[in-house]
Amino acid sequence: MRYLVQRFLQFSLVFFIVTFGVMVLMRLGLNAPGDPARTMLGGTVSQERIDEMTLRYHLDTNLIVQYWYWLKSILWNQDFGYSVQQNISVARYMRPNILVTFFLGVYSLIWGLIIAVPVAVYQAYKRDSRFDKAGNFFSFFFISVPALVFAPFIIYIFVTKLNWFPRIGEKIYPWDDLVGHFQNFFLPVVVLSLPTAAVFARLLRSDMIATLQSDFITLANAKGVSPQRTLWAHALRNSLFSVLTSVGVQIGGLIGGALVVEQYFNMKGMGFLLITTILSKDLFVVQSLSAILVASVVFANLGIDLMYTVIDPRIRHARALI
Amino acid sequence: MNTDTSEETKPIARKRGIGWILGTIWISTLSFCALFAYQLPFITAYGEKITVAGKAKSYGWGPGAQAWLGTDKSSFDVLSRCVYGARLTLLIGVGSTIMGLFLGGVIGILGGYFRGRIDRVVSIIVDSLLALPPLLLALLIVYRLDDLKLKIWFWGITRPWEITITLGVLAIAPLARITRAQTISLREREFVLSARSLGAKNSRIILRELLPNLMPTMLTVAFTGLGILIAAEGALAFLGLGVERPQTWGKLINISRDDLDSKPWATLFPCLFLLLTVISFNIIGDRIARRFDIREATL
Repeated sequence: MRYLVQRFLQFSLVFFIVTFGVMVLMRLGLNAPGDPARTMLGGTVSQERIDEMTLRYHLDTNLIVQYWYWLKSILWNQDFGYSVQQNISVARYMRPNILVTFFLGVYSLIWGLIIAVPVAVYQAYKRDSRFDKAGNFFSFFFISVPALVFAPFIIYIFVTKLNWFPRIGEKIYPWDDLVGHFQNFFLPVVVLSLPTAAVFARLLRSDMIATLQSDFITLANAKGVSPQRTLWAHALRNSLFSVLTSVGVQIGGLIGGALVVEQYFNMKGMGFLLITTILSKDLFVVQSLSAILVASVVFANLGIDLMYTVIDPRIRHARALI
Repeated sequence: MNTDTSEETKPIARKRGIGWILGTIWISTLSFCALFAYQLPFITAYGEKITVAGKAKSYGWGPGAQAWLGTDKSSFDVLSRCVYGARLTLLIGVGSTIMGLFLGGVIGILGGYFRGRIDRVVSIIVDSLLALPPLLLALLIVYRLDDLKLKIWFWGITRPWEITITLGVLAIAPLARITRAQTISLREREFVLSARSLGAKNSRIILRELLPNLMPTMLTVAFTGLGILIAAEGALAFLGLGVERPQTWGKLINISRDDLDSKPWATLFPCLFLLLTVISFNIIGDRIARRFDIREATL
């Protein structure tokens, strides 16, 4: 419990530092009074509108006070601010784009795990077999392939040559058209999930091999537990740590990969929105988007910490992991 | 701590393998071509168009004798574009890796060696850098540097430098993390204790005792990271944050990807360059890791 509280405090600190850092970064160079409001309004606007905006969002106060107001309106009123350039509230502006990236990320993560776990377990079980070697080769290959390179090859093979999938343009939500949704998301998810699976498989394989050599596995075998059960219940559970830890790291990488993949498949996700808004200096949108990204990374890490304690009860009592 | 105990018994020649040879050959060929791009006869000059019957034609040649890898949208030679792109890409990759090695190494060693309050600060810095998706952080920094150089400071800064600095910042966190972890385990070892009991100062222990032992790990992460940073540079260029001249691989991919269906060579060859380079650096990093028995460093 104490461990979790400690982690929670640590992660909240990280959240505040990063969101504040993004705010400062975006405001650098906007020192004159009225500057932030003028940038956000974009183009030439009257002095009254600038003053109104400045007053409404406390843009004339110092950064820490502004940050406080901004955070307060998000946490208390779920108000992410207003995108004047688009004349729409930031929350509504972001929603469709966030959903696209959310689907991409979640599907890829899930598929990554679904592919990685059985492959890695079997690799460790049949160590140095032909399957193991092939698995090692492919995981090394896919770890090295950046999404930037993987996507055009996939598109060329499956869209241009084989014509199995459509070139994606529009968003289809699963509640509108389930088949179309999966058809649209299939290739992007392949591009994102294979490298993820490769990372997981590699970590899990080496951990499994270490676990399979430990005494309690020998004991399990000696007392007649079936090999399958030893493998899947005893060994797997004790080998999951590195994979879980890397899930936290992978989320960041997935979002980065998603930025590129979105471009290839013409999906308007968070990446598209981020680039647009950073360019047009829509400060509130950039701040909110990065806050959401940081929050998701932080929450995922907290969730992983929680899962540690479920998998290994000893951690509940330990103070901290290195 | 290498879990692969059987690797130990195998002779070194067996360990290297074909991948290592191909990887080093690719990297050295590419660096050679990039270095002497102006002198090599088979690489057309950067601005020279390859014409079809005296006229510049968009995607005039496919891969063949006139242009080995075909010509692109503006009828430039894809091969020469890729090689000229490599000049800058490799430079940016190496520069940012050195920056990351230095800064990440320094804060990692400080945090791992002194522990306590310094360690807390280091951990928080590293966690914060890792909390934002790396590509997003890069986008933010490059765009802002771009803006700021017009406004107040950094007048002299050019695009390549901006990207180098940005990628260097990205490289800090993973390097600091692995150095810190290694330092923590090394500082408890006997040789550090003996140095300390002989009255060595902290600076001596860090520079003479710890640093040589940290080098292999840092080198491994640096090589693997080099591949990742080059890919990140490609992604930045792809997203429109590249260097104007010479165009790097990401930019080349982005320019011609709309014609992927009909003229695949202009997109796929720059991709291949990027892919081979990243894989080669990964292979080299991997072999160094095995050579020095370093456990997987997840970046």
